[in-house]
Amino acid sequence: MSATVALSNISHQFDGIAALQDVSLTVKPGEIVVLLGASGAGKSTLLSLLDGRLDEWQGQAEVLGSKLSEGTAPTRQKRTEVGFIFQEFALVDRLSVYQNVMNGRLGHMRVWQSLWGRFDERDHMAVSAALRDTGLADLARRRTDQISGGQRQRVAIARCLAQEPKLILADEPVSNLDPAHAEKILALITGQARKRGIGVIFSSHQPELSQRFADRIVGLRQGEILFDSPAGQITQDHIKQLYYGDTPGGGLRVVS
Amino acid sequence: MSRIVIWVSLAVAILWSLTTADIGLGKLPGAGVRLADFLGRMLPPDLSIWPEVLNGLAETLRIAILGTLFSVILSSGLAVLASENLMPPAIWRPVRAVLAVIRAIPLILVAMLMVGAVGLGPLPGILAVTFHATGMLAKFYAEAIDNVASAPVAALESAGANTVQRLRWAIWPQMAPVVLRDTVFRFELNLRESLILGIVGAGGIGLYIQTYVRSFQYEKAATVTLAIIVLVLLSELINGALRKRFS
Ligand SMILES: Nc1ncnc2c1ncn2[C@@H]1O[C@H](COP(=O)(O)OP(=O)(O)O)[C@@H](O)[C@H]1O
Ligand SMILES: [Mg+2]
Repeated sequence: MSATVALSNISHQFDGIAALQDVSLTVKPGEIVVLLGASGAGKSTLLSLLDGRLDEWQGQAEVLGSKLSEGTAPTRQKRTEVGFIFQEFALVDRLSVYQNVMNGRLGHMRVWQSLWGRFDERDHMAVSAALRDTGLADLARRRTDQISGGQRQRVAIARCLAQEPKLILADEPVSNLDPAHAEKILALITGQARKRGIGVIFSSHQPELSQRFADRIVGLRQGEILFDSPAGQITQDHIKQLYYGDTPGGGLRVVS
Repeated sequence: MSRIVIWVSLAVAILWSLTTADIGLGKLPGAGVRLADFLGRMLPPDLSIWPEVLNGLAETLRIAILGTLFSVILSSGLAVLASENLMPPAIWRPVRAVLAVIRAIPLILVAMLMVGAVGLGPLPGILAVTFHATGMLAKFYAEAIDNVASAPVAALESAGANTVQRLRWAIWPQMAPVVLRDTVFRFELNLRESLILGIVGAGGIGLYIQTYVRSFQYEKAATVTLAIIVLVLLSELINGALRKRFS
């Protein structure tokens, strides 16, 4: 089986400032990988590249067997295959929980039919399953702006699951949560992914949590991969280097 | 500093109005008696003219409905041109400037021009309302477009939705309540403003007010007034109920 993600020598700049530098990364099918790093390390940039939302870069990128090309958004089908859980959830407030989750199915549907809100049995079943798996079945009819923040996050996850992607990307899914809550959400995302046999790549700045839920941890600092190891082999040194590590010029660089 | 400027300007404006305008304050003492006499002659309202009044009101209502409808159609197109998100400044700036000018022209003036152009009757009224209302509605619609949050739209694109699907399930749901609320609000304004169109021959109930007052038939003018009050209160009630639904 070919790799889920294959990046070689990816670089990207925002207005001349490097956000990614010579990043090479391979992710195997079903693998759960964390992009670990401080704020500004390039995690979101890397995830949006994988989601096909970056316009230009240097290097070669392949996701789920197809090459990403600069300047052209992936086809509808390719976009459907990659699910993304957004940091701020990106839900349509005035729609019901059910319809927000149904929005994850749009890529699978005939366009004209979806415009009338006439969804196939197959779509309704996927939505119901996603709502059940995220514990939202009782809230299906509620308007999305009338539920709690934690519930909204689960709607975002349900929308991604209903999409039936072959790979899940998540940008800082737990950075705003208290520890107990964060664990629940990560358990939900990784548990559902394992159940479906698909991979997850999520970003985080919390080493302990990442170690608990990931197969592999990729440490990013200033757009570069600092280390790439099985989660069990991450040491305090790795973490120190990542957050307080020596800058290329030597000496201690304190990240505030 | 600037506060002093504001207070001084305010005082100057008031003094200027009191001293320079020929207000004719001397006429005030007798006004109460004359007003009472006038109101007295309105009573009892002559209800026998209700078929005419109803006809006039129906015509005003039609002018307001059609004027709103055509204005909604025009505004939908113009709003896209006036949107800061969809258009470059070279387009939306002049379009918005034109809309501002349109808003600045009073309806009654537009109506007089339209009567000159197409003759008497409800048609000039409809055209005038359409023109006048579009100045406001197109601006409101453009703002509704520009206030759409982009994150959910991007999320749907990421999930595989195409442009039309994103319009239907991410953009329109955000815009719809605002657009409907603005439209209902504009309809209420159109209805109120159309009441006087008849005075310049542009159709509707206004003609009867004009006719009855000029010919000293105050009992009939009273009936027209009552009918108008009922209509306006009704429309306010209905709009209030509708607006609550669009939150
Ligand atoms: N839209 C943007 N425009 C300009 N610079 C950006 C933009 N997005 C990110 N950057 C810069 O790119 C670098 C990486 O950002 P990001 O990928 O968001 O990091 P992270 O997600 O790890 O916090 C940062 O220096 C950030 O300031
Ligand atoms: Mg980020």
